[in-house]
Amino acid sequence: MASNQKSPGTGGNTPKPKPAGGGGQSAKDKSRAASRPVAGSGGKGGGGKGPKPGGRPAAAGAKSSRTGVYIAWGAVALVIVIVAALFIVKATSSNKQDLSYTPVTAAPAQVVHDVTTIPASTWDKVGVSDTSVSKPTVLSGQPAMTIDGKTPAMLYYGAEYCPYCAAERWAMAAALARFGTWSNLQVTASSHTDVDASTHTFSFHGASLDSQYITFKAIEQYTNIPVSGSPGQYTNLQNPTKAESQILAKYSSSKYLPNGSSNGSISFPFVDINNALLFSGASYDPQILAGLSWTDISGSLSDPTNPITQAVLTTGNYMSAGICQATHGQPGSVCTSSGVQAAAKALGISAS
Amino acid sequence: MTTLRWQPLTTLLLSVYGLGASIYLTITHFDAKALACVSNSTFNCEKVTQSPQSEIIGIPVAMLGLAFFVPMLVLCLPAMWRTSQRWVHLARLVLSITGVGMIIYLISAELFVIKAICLWCSSVHVVTFILFVIIATASPLVLAPGYGEPESEWEPDAAVPADGELS
Repeated sequence: MASNQKSPGTGGNTPKPKPAGGGGQSAKDKSRAASRPVAGSGGKGGGGKGPKPGGRPAAAGAKSSRTGVYIAWGAVALVIVIVAALFIVKATSSNKQDLSYTPVTAAPAQVVHDVTTIPASTWDKVGVSDTSVSKPTVLSGQPAMTIDGKTPAMLYYGAEYCPYCAAERWAMAAALARFGTWSNLQVTASSHTDVDASTHTFSFHGASLDSQYITFKAIEQYTNIPVSGSPGQYTNLQNPTKAESQILAKYSSSKYLPNGSSNGSISFPFVDINNALLFSGASYDPQILAGLSWTDISGSLSDPTNPITQAVLTTGNYMSAGICQATHGQPGSVCTSSGVQAAAKALGISAS
Repeated sequence: MTTLRWQPLTTLLLSVYGLGASIYLTITHFDAKALACVSNSTFNCEKVTQSPQSEIIGIPVAMLGLAFFVPMLVLCLPAMWRTSQRWVHLARLVLSITGVGMIIYLISAELFVIKAICLWCSSVHVVTFILFVIIATASPLVLAPGYGEPESEWEPDAAVPADGELS
């Protein structure tokens, strides 16, 4: 079809071919046209607006575009291969489960001494100065907690593998020592494979608090001993009683705890002080205890400027304020201290 | 010339989702209790969003997500896809490559360091990857010389179909 042929040497464009009407460019002619350098618009026989002067030949452009598409899909394939490789390596390595754990042993005397004899002046200097510590949830109008027929009471629910429990126990051990005397405190560390691995801490399993002011009950649901063949699972240690389960289920629910559970599951750690003050999860970041031994941590607790002391004692002052509310200000030496009063004020409760 | 059809709208919607998820994850980075997520031995959003790897040189990764999706959303507006400004298309491509590089790092951290998967984060990873696929495969077109310039009644020779022999 002569009408579709262009004048030689114009460098212009052909009109859009009509879809019907038969005829068109031969492949040979098309190839010739495509490989012709573009000279600009307004050429003889063209008249239309062409590509920019100096633009690349159409064939070169098409080839370049095709190469670009290959590169693009190649890059996509590369990303898929990398991500798939990551998951394959993970799946392969997961088969080699780390079954190590830190055994529970009697707490070194120095550690117990350091944690249970923190000077009142240190408690008061810290007060609630660590603003990164999460405040507990305050409840009102709930019946006082009764454990083993005694009231007021405080219930802790956690697990030895749990790193957040590991952090919370330092504050609990220190705070409760102001209201009684610990016996059989033991030490261990959180899971070796979980986040904040091997955070050094106490275990409350088998420990008891002798207090004339409050009854303390600790439930360590799981050990830190991994179950072979079940990554992330640990052996069972202690189950709550029926009455304790009812308390846990009630006060860990979203009805009482902001963002609490709506399906009955309970996050570790959970601390309930007389059904009036609830601690859910770690009050401070366990990361600050990373790599530290029991004596490193306990030894730092007398220094009110130490970040560990500030986190532990701020949490401890909140707990003390909750206990003081439950004991109606007993003992006065603790409950009227400036640190506890500051915590009570921050929580909007009465500690005396 | 081949034109973009579904890509602008799709990338825009993906960017809107990514931005929304990043805002949510930024909020929950600072308030872990606001995080609604499945929690078991494999999936644990809180473990991921509160991990040391959730920050890079002190900047929360969720905020880096915001810093990614805000410009991405702008660059994926239909007008930006239509523009003949080459730098816009280059910027979109570079941003998507940066994003996919970041998700490879974050997936590595989740699998091998934190050892937990955050479902919210994963949804953002998927969105970022799809954005990368769309943008990368559309780039040869939008980065081609002459893209976005006004159409004329004439088309380059290369566009003529081989529908018959010349007589």
